[in-house]
Amino acid sequence: MTDTSDQTPDEMTPAQADDMLAAEYVLGVLDLPARMVVEKRLKSDTAFAGLVTAWENHMAGLNDEFTETAAPMNLLEGLEARLFPVAPKKRRSWLGWVGGAVAAGVVAFAVGVNLPQPGPPAQVVAQLAAADQALVYEAAYERGALVVSRLAGSRPVAGQDHELWVIAPGAAPVSLGVLGDDTLRVTTPRPSAGWVLAVSVEPAGGSTTGAPTGPIILTAEISA
Amino acid sequence: MIAPAPSANAGEMNDPVADLLIRVAAQDRAAFRLIYSDTSSKLMGVLLRILGTRAEAEDALQEVYTRVWLRAGRYDAAKGAGMTWLVALARNHAIDRIRARKPEQSDDDAVALVVDQAPHAETRLIAAGEARRVTQCFDTLEPDRAEAVRGAYLNGQSYQDLADRYGVPINTMRTWLRRALLKLKECLDQ
Repeated sequence: MTDTSDQTPDEMTPAQADDMLAAEYVLGVLDLPARMVVEKRLKSDTAFAGLVTAWENHMAGLNDEFTETAAPMNLLEGLEARLFPVAPKKRRSWLGWVGGAVAAGVVAFAVGVNLPQPGPPAQVVAQLAAADQALVYEAAYERGALVVSRLAGSRPVAGQDHELWVIAPGAAPVSLGVLGDDTLRVTTPRPSAGWVLAVSVEPAGGSTTGAPTGPIILTAEISA
Repeated sequence: MIAPAPSANAGEMNDPVADLLIRVAAQDRAAFRLIYSDTSSKLMGVLLRILGTRAEAEDALQEVYTRVWLRAGRYDAAKGAGMTWLVALARNHAIDRIRARKPEQSDDDAVALVVDQAPHAETRLIAAGEARRVTQCFDTLEPDRAEAVRGAYLNGQSYQDLADRYGVPINTMRTWLRRALLKLKECLDQ
């Protein structure tokens, strides 16, 4: 009932209706389902994305009214620890769960290397483990599917779930699904070496926004 | 995914935030540290105003800067200022959060809180040309409509929140706001 599709005032052309939707999205008045429709469209419809950017630029005139408030610097340290974990000595130096992903991607593209494709048998491609091994997931690739099983630990408390994400170089995390008690099997092309798998804590059933909303607790780089 | 740059008002002659974003997109960690120290106060202000509590704003700030690191490559300096892009990222994340939590709890208190926190911000001086333009265009709107548009943008209020606040049905609110936006657009396009 609060979606916007049936609300076009009679005098609006389709182009105006798109512009209005862009304005409503930028203003932030849409409800969540309508916002998600817009966000999905933004990924593929560059003309529409241009309308949104134009409204963002128009409305930026109001940004001065957001009062600056000091943010804690220790938050930056936490972020850096999360984004750029120190590489263990025995491993090749990866630059962090995203830095590594991108670096690997860039190198692969720059040199034109074709990463070896795995043979048919199941092949472990990543292990997502907490430092104390209290929670461990293992991801394997077999017969066109990524198969993720929990080897240690348990699901989060009631009302929450672990959600698995894949992060391609330079891209936003994409959900592969919620990690329940059973093994998660997702039919997908094999993620390339250097891509990153991550597990976040989400409300039961998974993030409703299409992006991780809770803390990212585990990350691992896909091995070649 | 790569859009041709529209005839945007580039004007990025001197935009240190844009320069930093371009470096961050190239995985420059020092630039990430700099962009955090230069812009986190602003984004914290955005998140605090929309989300209402410091704890949630700090939590959201971590997510926002994670996305800055992940998505800086999508920033296109030809399309707008670096800070505009960052504020949009923060606002979108904050709004997604409050829309997602909406069914669980009434937002009334939180909304009342943020409204009370910053009611007089409109008296601030705004320097940039585009800024002056949009505020001038606000003057062409009826005062309560202008206030509704500003409230939505600055406080993250939904159509439903605004309808409750102004005591009108949601469809009336939507019609009001759309007319206001069309008028705003007319003025901005002049």
